[in-house]
Amino acid sequence: MDIDAGGVTARRQAPPRRVQAPGPRLRPVAPTGTVACPACGRRFVFERYKADLNVCTACGHHGRVPAVQRIAQLADSHSTEPLELHVGDRDPLHFDDGVPYVQRVARAREQTGIEEAFAIARAEIAGTPVMLACMDFAFLGGSLGSAAGEMFARACELAVGERRALVAVCTSGGARMQEGIASLAQMARCSVGVASVAEASLPYISVLGDPCFGGVTASFAVQADVILAEPGARIGFAGGRVIEQATHDRLPDGFQTAEFLLAHGMVDTVIDRRQLRATIGALLRLYSGGS
Amino acid sequence: MSTTTETTEREQAAFARVELARHPERPRAHQVIDGVFSDWHELRGDRRFGDDRAVIAGPALLHGRTVMVIGQEKGTDPMTRAVHNFGMPHPEGYRKARRLMRQAEKFGMPVVCLIDTPAAYAGVGAEERGQAWAIADSLLCMLTLRTPTVSVVLSEGGSGGALALAVADRVLALENAVYTVAPPETCAAILYRDAGQRARAAAALRPGVDTAYGIGLVDELIPEPEPGAHAHPGVAIAAIGGAISRHLDELCATPVDELVRRRAARYRAAGG
Ligand SMILES: [Zn+2]
Repeated sequence: MDIDAGGVTARRQAPPRRVQAPGPRLRPVAPTGTVACPACGRRFVFERYKADLNVCTACGHHGRVPAVQRIAQLADSHSTEPLELHVGDRDPLHFDDGVPYVQRVARAREQTGIEEAFAIARAEIAGTPVMLACMDFAFLGGSLGSAAGEMFARACELAVGERRALVAVCTSGGARMQEGIASLAQMARCSVGVASVAEASLPYISVLGDPCFGGVTASFAVQADVILAEPGARIGFAGGRVIEQATHDRLPDGFQTAEFLLAHGMVDTVIDRRQLRATIGALLRLYSGGS
Repeated sequence: MSTTTETTEREQAAFARVELARHPERPRAHQVIDGVFSDWHELRGDRRFGDDRAVIAGPALLHGRTVMVIGQEKGTDPMTRAVHNFGMPHPEGYRKARRLMRQAEKFGMPVVCLIDTPAAYAGVGAEERGQAWAIADSLLCMLTLRTPTVSVVLSEGGSGGALALAVADRVLALENAVYTVAPPETCAAILYRDAGQRARAAAALRPGVDTAYGIGLVDELIPEPEPGAHAHPGVAIAAIGGAISRHLDELCATPVDELVRRRAARYRAAGG
């Protein structure tokens, strides 16, 4: 579980004039400011880039998307009901590395405007009722702590109770190290949620965004009936840098990209974000019996 | 004594616990299998790609009851450590385990998993063949398996690589073992961007199994003879055997529907 796996690989692959990745950190300059594509450097007016779903219209690079914006991108307009789950704070180890862990969580909450690494919403996608669970990489690297695990498990239970399909958008560095072993246990907790959705014969569609690593990939992210991955997204268990350092192996071209995983049979399709909503809608109709 | 000295001593003590758990002479899975079970027949291969020697598995007898035993094996000398990849499984190891867990379910055999891994293997081939997918499948398999399951953390339970075989009805651990979200070196690299600060990470993350016991992820700590299981492996193995038998007796007397229901409720609440 390598929280910074994504960032490090990005440094290796990105051109030297890379600027700050798009996402909530850019909010202070919005809406009058501009955003540079992290891949090609082309600048866009913030609102224009957001309207293009954070996809670069010059090179097609898929930028990171805050969880709240994800929900707006995927859900039918006026159908969305964001759920505040009030799962509370956890700090089992009283972790403090100079900045107390609880302060880091509070700061992430302020920066992202969401409760924890997930934003959960009741919504419809192309008319099909769903429970949407979207992760936010800007919330401590989308890391999976006990509060986030509880949110995902509740989303699953609500989906079962209301007979809704489950749609998860996954982006994470992996475990929340600051919570130690309790963080590891979340892989099991989230798997219980997925098992309950499966037991109820409700469809579960997972979207893997950039980056997605560690205990998130190794649990609910890939336990779905259909796994969609975004172009260029880096997805895996261990981060590329960890593997290089541990094995001294040369990493193959495109290693751990969505396209690489498609070629290795690990995902169902690699899908452009601009087709994501329509594709999920069509799949949900098929898995709901075609009506 | 200065605060710095106290901090250093606390960190050194925390890392000494990790080193004790990594002692090369602690009982390994194959020794526990030899000492606790009889008539073990090793079954190999995942029927898809290969046979992962970091996981050894097969049916055996325990007091006249057939049990499917699945163990992460670290090896005991330089040669066998290399053969068993230092107990770090590839996807094939988890897929072999899953194959044999399903087989155990089919024949009504309880499953016993012996956990002893620093982490799932991080390598190009492991990623190409879906390490995350293999672990995720193993978690779902263990959660829904319709047969009693007991896992024992022997020495090191590291990362999802350990949890994949530890989502059991009962989780036991030798008292000097560690059970961690990741090895302290990895935690230090992530938290402090310096793998060298592993002692600091160990002090902060409290990797001893008592922490996992405290949050209910481990049910029972198996006492070790002083100064540790490495000094008297036979005594430790006998204690492991006694604990496994006792828990299996209880679990086998419980209807399987009830076991699966309790297991789901337990892991639904895992980690608080
Ligand atoms: Zn671009």
